[in-house]
Amino acid sequence: MSLKTAPEDSAGPAAGAGLPTVLPPLDSPEVQKMHRRMRRRRGRGRLTAYITGTILTLWIAVPIFFVFSMAFTTQETVRSYPKNFLPFIAFSTDTMRFFLESDGVLQSLWNSMVVAGITLVLSTLISIPAGYAIARYLFRGRDLFRLAVLAVRAFPIVVLSIPLAVLYLRIGVFDSLYSLALMHTALALPTSILVVSSVFASVPYELEEAGKVFGATPFQSFRYIVVPLVLPGIAASGLFSFVLSWNEVFAAAILTINNRTLPALVLNSLANSPDAFQFAGGFFLMVPSIVFMFFIRRYLFNMWGQVTK
Amino acid sequence: MTTPDTATSASKARTWRYRVVPYLLIAPAIVYLAMFFAYPMYEGLVLAVYDDDALLPIRDEPNLGASEVSKIPQGTALAIVDRSSQEVVGDGSADALTDPWYEVTAEDPSGSPVSGWVSGARIRVRDEDATGAPVSGTVRPRLAATSDPLTDVHESPNDRSEVIGKLEQRAPVEINEVALLEVWFQVRPADDPAAAAGWAPSRFLQVFEDGERGRVHRGTDGEFTTAFIGRMIDDRFFGPAVRTTLLLMVLIIPAQFVLAMVMALVVHARTRLSTGFLYAFSLPIGMSDLAAGILFFSIFTGNGLLNSILDGLGIIDGPYAFLTADTVGWIIFAIVLAELWRATSIVMVILVAGLQAIPDETLEAAELFGASYFQRVRHIMLPLLRPSIQVALILRTILAFQVFAVVIALGGGDVVTVLANESYRQYFGLRNNNVASAYAVFILMLSMASAFFYLRAVRSEPETRPT
Repeated sequence: MSLKTAPEDSAGPAAGAGLPTVLPPLDSPEVQKMHRRMRRRRGRGRLTAYITGTILTLWIAVPIFFVFSMAFTTQETVRSYPKNFLPFIAFSTDTMRFFLESDGVLQSLWNSMVVAGITLVLSTLISIPAGYAIARYLFRGRDLFRLAVLAVRAFPIVVLSIPLAVLYLRIGVFDSLYSLALMHTALALPTSILVVSSVFASVPYELEEAGKVFGATPFQSFRYIVVPLVLPGIAASGLFSFVLSWNEVFAAAILTINNRTLPALVLNSLANSPDAFQFAGGFFLMVPSIVFMFFIRRYLFNMWGQVTK
Repeated sequence: MTTPDTATSASKARTWRYRVVPYLLIAPAIVYLAMFFAYPMYEGLVLAVYDDDALLPIRDEPNLGASEVSKIPQGTALAIVDRSSQEVVGDGSADALTDPWYEVTAEDPSGSPVSGWVSGARIRVRDEDATGAPVSGTVRPRLAATSDPLTDVHESPNDRSEVIGKLEQRAPVEINEVALLEVWFQVRPADDPAAAAGWAPSRFLQVFEDGERGRVHRGTDGEFTTAFIGRMIDDRFFGPAVRTTLLLMVLIIPAQFVLAMVMALVVHARTRLSTGFLYAFSLPIGMSDLAAGILFFSIFTGNGLLNSILDGLGIIDGPYAFLTADTVGWIIFAIVLAELWRATSIVMVILVAGLQAIPDETLEAAELFGASYFQRVRHIMLPLLRPSIQVALILRTILAFQVFAVVIALGGGDVVTVLANESYRQYFGLRNNNVASAYAVFILMLSMASAFFYLRAVRSEPETRPT
């Protein structure tokens, strides 16, 4: 069979079978003492986990919250010293308005959306068949392909934007949103392929087979059985591509001049823009990834947790 | 009824399907990665070691079809021997020096009509049509008494073509057509008068005021060279960039692994808030280093959060400037914090996934045998996490070579610089694609070397790894 099917669930090793029967009975004072000690230790461990977790959450959240407060206050407050957090300072859309009304910001927001949108569509379209092939077929070179994709993901592809820029200049597609989206798709593709393949792998092939048994064509069983099950996972991988493109700085700064995306615009105005501009820019850079994290949290490990080979 | 024959053909069709379909499915991905990964990588390597403009061939006749006399390297000082005009093959380049030639009809000294091409330098245009194209003019007088007072009419717009007539000075001419010709120079290397002279078009030369000397502006023939790599290494930012990149790696990666391990253990403790903690800790995954740079800029800047807190606690009296050229240590510290903030999440996710793969029974057994929490972490979790740690190490080290925007956001990009920033500076600030590519290739090489190093370091492990 060249199809990869889930390994048969062999009867697991009989756990605990054949233990010597010299253990003290469960209600003996020794065992109860041990249980008490373990429970106490676990309780202490819980408390430590809560405290450490809270501190680390603050470490992640405080900087974000601080910049968000700066993005939603008056420009005077941004310039003032000492600084304070949002409930204690004036809430205002002044900074935000200043940012959005600055030259090129709205255009760059739109550019970012176009580039990220194209990246989303392209990387999804290419990664679905590739991911399906890895998940469902055993073919010669499958491991090599998987390994290559993993290796490409780990590569600093971003630095390839310089030769790509030279190439784009030569063929006359430099400084175009479409060519930047092509680069971003290359960046997103390896992760997309791996995520999509793990999403397909999580749908048992037996379901597809059952569909075929009941007379569905391969396409029908794919369309009506597999697609509904994998759609959320594929949406997550698409969102990932979107956010990756939205946040990408280096290639965007190299490959565009007049059609700047938001990160490229913010990067280029870092040296000569007021703090208010930078903080509001930071807000726009961060919001999509925060929303994205919320939607994909179930797929976190599909995306980055794959370790084997 | 299924005969064995149709069964075989059906199974043949199936095998064909299983053989070919997966390759068709992965084909787009392979083509795409080849186009946007393999090809730019190759192109980058070529840019770093191959100079497209290195040599200028000079020819024995002023036209592109003539045979080459020799090749002169870019930048060589030239002595100019002669000049001529030639019809341009291809587009007229912006750098080209051009001569107009006119196709004229006039009467020669004997009064018979003659028509042919005359150099624009010999005609004064008197009349132009609405579009500005010359219509008629007169032949310029020659001032030097020694030269031929008559002007040559050529068969084609080229002073080496056959002379088909002569015009008297001040004779009126009708201009039928204009040809813009590129000037060619006959040159030889200035420091070697014995060398053979040859012709080259003006667009590749830079001619000095006196019209007798010049230099090779750029060549047309490529040559492999180590010049770009040399320029990268001699660049005054190269040393600092390498040092800072490595310093940041050394400072960030160990701290990051400790922090990520603590985060992973908190998530793995399976408290009621585990999912919430996981969400909070993984928030920065989708964020760029530019966003992280802005976050920590807001904290470390003169009137930022840190100064406000320190002031509020009475530790300092006024804002302390953390991010200046005199406080490079603080800039590095801020970069380290920003990178810890941003890139720890991904290590954490990999470690959590690894922890989840460890069977609970293993840990419970250890606990039953009296192993303390730290003993369990040290002797059971960490050894079992080794594959995850290796993957995370490779990913992190390679990410560390790409640190870029955070350095600009916190240090401006000059006082503290890293390799990726130098690549950007060479490309954008100095417009030097080749040196920028040399930097990019250098980063690629470092990444490959470190990945290879980690993989080799793993290879000896499997036998000793407890399973």
